[in-house]
Amino acid sequence: MTFDCKDLERALAIPELLPDAREHAKVCDACRRELWLWSEMSAVAPGLREDWETPELWPKIRQTLAAQQKAAKPHGLGRRLGGRFDWRIMAGIAALLAIGFSIFLITYSRPAPAPAVAQDSDFLTDQTLKEVEKTEAAYRASIDKLTRLAEVKLSAAENPVAIAAREKLLMLDSEIANVRSTVSHNRFNAQLQADLADLYRDKQDTLKEILQRAE
Amino acid sequence: MPLAMAAGRLTARSDADLIQASKRGDLSAFEEIYASHAGRMKSIAFHLLADRADAEDAVQEAFLKIYRAAGAIQFDSGLAPWIYRILLNCCYDTGRKRKRQAEAPLAAEPPAMPVNVPVQVAIRHALARIQPQYRMVFWLFEVEGFRHSEVAAILEIPEGTSKKWLFEAKRELKRLLTESRA
Repeated sequence: MTFDCKDLERALAIPELLPDAREHAKVCDACRRELWLWSEMSAVAPGLREDWETPELWPKIRQTLAAQQKAAKPHGLGRRLGGRFDWRIMAGIAALLAIGFSIFLITYSRPAPAPAVAQDSDFLTDQTLKEVEKTEAAYRASIDKLTRLAEVKLSAAENPVAIAAREKLLMLDSEIANVRSTVSHNRFNAQLQADLADLYRDKQDTLKEILQRAE
Repeated sequence: MPLAMAAGRLTARSDADLIQASKRGDLSAFEEIYASHAGRMKSIAFHLLADRADAEDAVQEAFLKIYRAAGAIQFDSGLAPWIYRILLNCCYDTGRKRKRQAEAPLAAEPPAMPVNVPVQVAIRHALARIQPQYRMVFWLFEVEGFRHSEVAAILEIPEGTSKKWLFEAKRELKRLLTESRA
């Protein structure tokens, strides 16, 4: 091959042509300078790396992580189970208990329709059950709408936050399916209904957070 | 330095082992991940943010996110690309925050190319003048020493694109350096 100055650019892109370029550079000052510059860029580039000591950085990170771990540390049953729950599950359980308790209080602070009739406070009346089921259906429909909106944002994102959110939604959906299945066999159990409502609330909060982040 | 590293166990524990141990709350395992990557992460963050304090903040934020998201990692392309993707996102977030906080916009125009300076200094100036995606590939490949497969995984681009962008980066740099030396 007859190598010319105008072939140099192509030779830089195709390593197989470089021997010809080097041969040509022996008799061409301009191409020799260009070839030298090309390889010099790679040679000096590692020297551009910025390096400095930060002895305080890891202790800061460790301290923050330790504080987070402490805050999310399992207590009671969780510790006895060997602390194998991760922070999301623990946070979910904490939220579930808090919201469940609120719903429980709201449900039982309503005036009793028939005070003369003694009731077992662990179970719902027919009337209350109908109300709960009606509310659940409406709530579920609105969450489904929210899910469709969030799914568009989530499926497009691949960052760790989106991955964690997808994982949390899967976990919540699975838990919701479990509790609904249990509820279908024990519809009058107030605690189960409260647990279900709590899971829906958690899912709604997660979806809202996803949409807010996307904005 | 963690005892595990001092005892030379750094290479004995794979990335997968370290991340699994980190998921269980083992901070010494996470410290090994930190020790392996923090230096390079600081350098990349500094390259993007041009400020050491901001770079350290971005690296710190990245490690907190890495720890929190350890459960979601998929090892298809290894730990490193995932870690550096998180870092880049943290740097972009920090950059956006800084832009919002700055009263005046950050310098939009790169400084003029200096003449008759060592190649390394000239490259540093010339890098500021080339397209950001070319600059990023040049930095990851030539400065930080990543392979094209790793650059491609970090930037979520095909490997061929990484090679092409590196060529374009060097071609642009060569042109700028030649002009400044003419």
